[in-house]
Amino acid sequence: MKIDNSLPLEYSTEENRLKILGFWIFLAAEIALFATLFATYFAYQGRTGNGPGTEIFEITPVLINTFALLTSSFTIGLAVNAMRLGNKKAMLTFLGLTLALGLVFLGVEIKEFFTFVHEGATIQTSGYLSILFSTLGTHGAHVSLGFFWGLFIIIQVSKYGLTPHTANKAFIFSLYWHFLDVVWIFIFSFVYLKGMM
Amino acid sequence: MAQLFPKHHVMGFIFSLVLTVVAMAVVVYDLSYTAAMAILLITAFMQAGVQLVMFMHAGESEDKVTIYTNVIYMVFFAIVTILGTLLLFIWDM
Repeated sequence: MKIDNSLPLEYSTEENRLKILGFWIFLAAEIALFATLFATYFAYQGRTGNGPGTEIFEITPVLINTFALLTSSFTIGLAVNAMRLGNKKAMLTFLGLTLALGLVFLGVEIKEFFTFVHEGATIQTSGYLSILFSTLGTHGAHVSLGFFWGLFIIIQVSKYGLTPHTANKAFIFSLYWHFLDVVWIFIFSFVYLKGMM
Repeated sequence: MAQLFPKHHVMGFIFSLVLTVVAMAVVVYDLSYTAAMAILLITAFMQAGVQLVMFMHAGESEDKVTIYTNVIYMVFFAIVTILGTLLLFIWDM
């Protein structure tokens, strides 16, 4: 394995560089997934049958979630920066903060889903609510997966230290987390804010 | 300590908070549908840009061209999917 020391650890071997490229290709495929969900969401807007529509949205939990995810995207950026400085302790702290904010997001979203169902808005109520829950749920499932992925990254980095291998994994995880933030921005703008207009 | 909070990251974060507050204008003020959608589209795509360039380091490896081509192609694909659906089912053309 040829290690190029002029590059950051996560790019230092050809395999590492190609893994990062491969992950970008995966993320682009994820754009297609969320595009189809958004397209269906727009097509079903207003098709609420006898169930409730966008009046079930509340601004407070949505704002908490937006700030939690935006801040977590910032802290994971700082984690990658600390990793490049070789500061393992700071990196793990920022990663831990990121996951804690991810948990805040998940907690608020799950509570929000309970409130929706309580108000008679279930996934089976109408076409509109089916796609609303599918879109929010697909994003939420990604965050849940990301939480456990991040947990394993923290365990690996604290166990094996910063090597080209672990740095590469942590960097790829950061790409995934930033991507989830981007998807959330579109949900925040075109599902929640547009719905509350 | 300052090393741990690089300027362009902090700026990116502040910028993303500002964009969120600007996007909130559509629920706070009574805007026309066109104006509100314009604000949402501009702020959302700018947010995505901030993440992509400032946080995701999209342009720093030698695969830069491949990465950007791939992402731009998929964004195009997403826009075609969404606009195509709107065209058929909502705008009724």
